[in-house]
Amino acid sequence: MDFEEAARRHQRRVYTFAHYFLGNREEAEDVTQEVLLRLWRHCDHLEEVMVEAWLLKVTRNACFDLLRRRRLPAHSASSIELLTHEPASREPSPEDQAEDASLSRQLRKALNELEEPYRSALILREIQDLAYHEIATILELPLNTVRVHIHRGRQRLREHFKEAYGDAATH
Amino acid sequence: VTQRPTDPAMTCAEIEGLLEPFVDDELEAAEAAALRSHLAECPACSAELALAERIRTGLRTLPELDPSPSILERVRAQAAAESAKVVPLVRPFRPARAVRRWVIPAAVAAALAGLLATTLLLRFQRPAPSPTTAEVQAAEQQARYALAYIGRATRQASLTLRDDVLEKRVVLPTALSVERPLDPRPGLILEHHLTKGT
Repeated sequence: MDFEEAARRHQRRVYTFAHYFLGNREEAEDVTQEVLLRLWRHCDHLEEVMVEAWLLKVTRNACFDLLRRRRLPAHSASSIELLTHEPASREPSPEDQAEDASLSRQLRKALNELEEPYRSALILREIQDLAYHEIATILELPLNTVRVHIHRGRQRLREHFKEAYGDAATH
Repeated sequence: VTQRPTDPAMTCAEIEGLLEPFVDDELEAAEAAALRSHLAECPACSAELALAERIRTGLRTLPELDPSPSILERVRAQAAAESAKVVPLVRPFRPARAVRRWVIPAAVAAALAGLLATTLLLRFQRPAPSPTTAEVQAAEQQARYALAYIGRATRQASLTLRDDVLEKRVVLPTALSVERPLDPRPGLILEHHLTKGT
């Protein structure tokens, strides 16, 4: 497998997962660099069909290692930052934009405070749009467990929103 | 407080756990129908459903992100540095296997042979004068040297021989066997050893 081609194709996947998982851009870059270096070391033994799952599994492990090294919870208010790479896929009204930005920020914060494995499951499913069976491979869990984790993760976000924003969350 | 339906087919608590699968369109048709009829009568659960949908939509609109363009260059540089690194061929010192195979048994055999020769020599020197305590101590010291040599050879072979085991199982029995040809008085070395030990 060609390293350059694989790295170009998958670096976005790796960085996105690390960024939402860690809630910190610099650390996500460090993890991405480390993971791509591992890809370079192992690319002779990897097949293209399995490389994405392998990369995401390695990325998740690297995120855990980083959290262990900094010996802090995976979230902190200061680590939540504005994402500067958000593409504008449509032309929303200023009101929509304000509401979207607010919801997006709240969701990133809530996601960053969500415990594992719900956080990984939601990032992979809802943000990275992976299929259940792909997530099951990455998380090494049965398919039905993945499904339950995704539902339960979103349910926890819903509870978080109600706690944080009261009645305003449901209206 | 929002008024709950008086006689719903499903309770609000039951609905609570079904909202996310409902949003994902993963409920059985009958279950989805029951949920819909409950929602039609229950504004609180409808509001929960709206929040569940908002969260799902919100998550799905969070974008995938690009790392900084320099990241691949940094990885390439690291990879190049790693490729250029010369792996040193220095290994920890270990004697060649062929040498290891005979050195240690030979050392042990030589030490034992020395000990045996000394014992026989002393036995055939008759009439043996009664040894003094100093001579007994010297003999014991020699035995200790020989055993220490064996112990060192054994340690080289990575065998751990605890001191207390060495003392009880090797030193004392050997000392006693040396004592017999040296002195007709039994127990002298043992007594000496025990006195020293206390």
